[in-house]
Amino acid sequence: MKVHTRHPTRRGFLKGSGALSFALLATGSAAVLPSATEAQPLPDGRVTAWVTITPDNRMTIMFGSAEMGQGVSTSLPMIVAEELDADWSTVASEQVSTDPEGVYGNPMAGGILFAAGSSSVEGYFTYLRQAGAQARQILIRIAGAHWGVPPEEVTTRQSTVLHEPTGAVMTYGEVAALPDPVWPSGEMPQAELKLRADWSIMGTDVERLDIPGKTTGAPVYSIDVEVPDMLHGALLLSPVEGETPTLNSDTDARAVDGVVDVIVMDHAVAVLARSYTAALAGRDALDVRWTETSPFRKANSADELAALAAAADDMSADAVVWESRGGDQAAFSSADVVTGTYTTEHVYHAQMEPLNAVASVDADGMGAEIWLGTQSQTASIMIAAAVLGTTPDRIRFHAMQMGGAFGRRTVFAREQMRDALLLSKAAGRPVKLVWTREDDVKNGWLRPATVQRLDAALDAEGYPTALRHRIASPSIFQFAMPDRWNPETRRDLLVMEGAESSDYDFGTFQAEHVLVPRRSRLSAWRGIGWAPNCFARECFMDELAERAGIDPVSYRRRLLAGSPRALAVLDAAVAMSDFGNPPEGRAHGIAFAGYKKTLATGVAEVSYEGERLRVHRFWTAIDPGIVIHPQAYRAQVEGGILFGLSSVLRERSTFTKGQIDQSNFYDYEPIRISDIPEIEVRFVESGEAPSGGGEIGVPMTAPAISNAVRRLTGESQRRLPFVTGS
Amino acid sequence: MVTLNVNGRTVDVNAAPDTPLLWALRDELKLKGTRYGCGAGMCGACTVHIDGQATFSCQMTIGDAAGAEITTIEGLSETGDHRVQQAWIAEQVPQCGYCQSGQIMRAAALLANNPRPSRQEIVDEMSANLCRCGTYPRIIRAIERAAQEG
Repeated sequence: MKVHTRHPTRRGFLKGSGALSFALLATGSAAVLPSATEAQPLPDGRVTAWVTITPDNRMTIMFGSAEMGQGVSTSLPMIVAEELDADWSTVASEQVSTDPEGVYGNPMAGGILFAAGSSSVEGYFTYLRQAGAQARQILIRIAGAHWGVPPEEVTTRQSTVLHEPTGAVMTYGEVAALPDPVWPSGEMPQAELKLRADWSIMGTDVERLDIPGKTTGAPVYSIDVEVPDMLHGALLLSPVEGETPTLNSDTDARAVDGVVDVIVMDHAVAVLARSYTAALAGRDALDVRWTETSPFRKANSADELAALAAAADDMSADAVVWESRGGDQAAFSSADVVTGTYTTEHVYHAQMEPLNAVASVDADGMGAEIWLGTQSQTASIMIAAAVLGTTPDRIRFHAMQMGGAFGRRTVFAREQMRDALLLSKAAGRPVKLVWTREDDVKNGWLRPATVQRLDAALDAEGYPTALRHRIASPSIFQFAMPDRWNPETRRDLLVMEGAESSDYDFGTFQAEHVLVPRRSRLSAWRGIGWAPNCFARECFMDELAERAGIDPVSYRRRLLAGSPRALAVLDAAVAMSDFGNPPEGRAHGIAFAGYKKTLATGVAEVSYEGERLRVHRFWTAIDPGIVIHPQAYRAQVEGGILFGLSSVLRERSTFTKGQIDQSNFYDYEPIRISDIPEIEVRFVESGEAPSGGGEIGVPMTAPAISNAVRRLTGESQRRLPFVTGS
Repeated sequence: MVTLNVNGRTVDVNAAPDTPLLWALRDELKLKGTRYGCGAGMCGACTVHIDGQATFSCQMTIGDAAGAEITTIEGLSETGDHRVQQAWIAEQVPQCGYCQSGQIMRAAALLANNPRPSRQEIVDEMSANLCRCGTYPRIIRAIERAAQEG
């Protein structure tokens, strides 16, 4: 993806005094504004505050990516604060909810507010550094003018401007409080960025700004929002996608104390009540029949897995080429080709806060106030405007802290927030719509199953001269983002990314996607395509190494010889784990895996206690370029490894006749604390620009465990979840 | 109408006795720090103390809770400085935070009943509560820290 650097073309200042806001103009440059209390909009209204400094020398920094636990409410402000030379102890941060001028969006996400795919720090890094550095320059100029000294002689340190020749000093708060500041005029030059050696915030383990509140129950998730006159909504959702209800009777439902209304929708029957428990009781009392004509009535996950296996093996099946290097495609038809086939089953997100939305539609039906925990504020606002047939400026949007997301909260607004809007409009009152855990499980947008076939033509030593990675799977992208799906090229990055194996030299290489019709609703899942694709490839690498009689590290070192960064993480993981020398009764397994620009190697140490697979230890060496917030990055890696472990041990969604078979955590149970290994994370920084940490823990984990199990038992685990897992 | 003792105060709840305590706390008493995760006693996001014992509030009716001392995350400490809360900050435990009220309440009850738990005792007790973000390693470290500092 291309990172756009925005250059200033328009600036403006407001007259007034009090707090200073550093404004990010429509074009992305920084300017300084006085406090909102006295602010007048610029003539064209195009200003948006980015940093606010108040006379008490406190600072609030906005962040654009939505906080779902990954720590962007701290890591993104750290970048601004560093270049602004801020005293970190004075910094607070605040979520951006709307971006009508398109100034807060992630350059890596097409400039919209969209937090997914570990893109926040990577996408915003350069942009936020510039914003902070320019804001610092403006403070210097105001102070210089105030003191009557050249700005070149003014320096900054810890939220203080200094003029050493005269000994003049002001805190940023005192600059903000100047009664009649002289505003710099003219175009601000691109500010010089700090050298890494001078960083005092980035790269340090400051405490996360959101953690103290999260120890007292204080955070307000959308499920906690209360609006005056609000009704609680529960839905009886169509049991199978695409079916329509007929209400036989709502007499009993309406008789439930607290039930206010029953509303028939095209895919559900809603019960609105004065309490959520009343809404659920009313729902239980409904008598509804469904059309039962959906083609998904024939959808079974077992059939899908069989169809995927057949498609992966059917060389006449239409395949979309994702990546191709070298040209000797005939190599795959030779007699000496070695084949491995790997399967990943459907999985569910299981974010701890069940999906919910709060909407209050205006009396004219053409505007609304919305409270939503979403990975994309921009997409949600666009959807809301489309639902109401209005313009985005009529949507007053509150982006709420999310109780987990993992890919589930990207575009779910098109179902659930839509329903909340329609119900609020019909009821003429605010509505909080909450899915029960059962609703959440049974209406999951699953990561689809994949069947992955790898074919390698080998040289005399057993190294590939050609390798083909063929992935059979429905398209996630086509279902989740149909408006951005290109039916001509059919490139599905949510399924295929990671299959390009760009650090490996396999000679001739091809990755291809065999598209199979979807049988369930779909979305990306933490690790995205990289998790299933690296699982298949890294298990295959170990099997090829064993076949060649070469140890799995040496085998990979030769194939990765052209990627110094890959070798660095491989060697570091080998060293930190003393790879290959496990305690008696245990085995080690290794996997090299990336996520976009971040590279990692993981080592698992496993044993069996009876039938139970235990992962005792997990080591990983990671190169994310530069680490902005090490302790939070480490937390993301730990979480990603445990997500990957959970997919190994027991996560599996199945469906029968279009209905997901699982209901709640008793039959879809993510791993518990009793399942976890000791985890050790080491950073091997290459000094490249920082890349993401949210996904990187996932892709290496399952293959490292699988390779360890094969060493221990001699049997390959080629399926997620493992057949003998747990 | 049911009378409850919540966080040291006597409160009247205008709901039927068979109402789950979780929903009475959240929607009637506006104590939102106790979270809804599953409604089935499987995740522990709703964990509160009933007479000092960690309990799934989704699995107890207010009728059954009447007469007991109920403590929620809001009542664990006056200013958020219970040693478990301090240890949670020191170890930087929370990610999304949604499960953490329940985790902290269970950990606090564990330490009240067993001030020096072994690692295995910590794991056994905390296995009742799910965390999808994967904060488990830090939960163990935080409980060990709170035990040492307690």
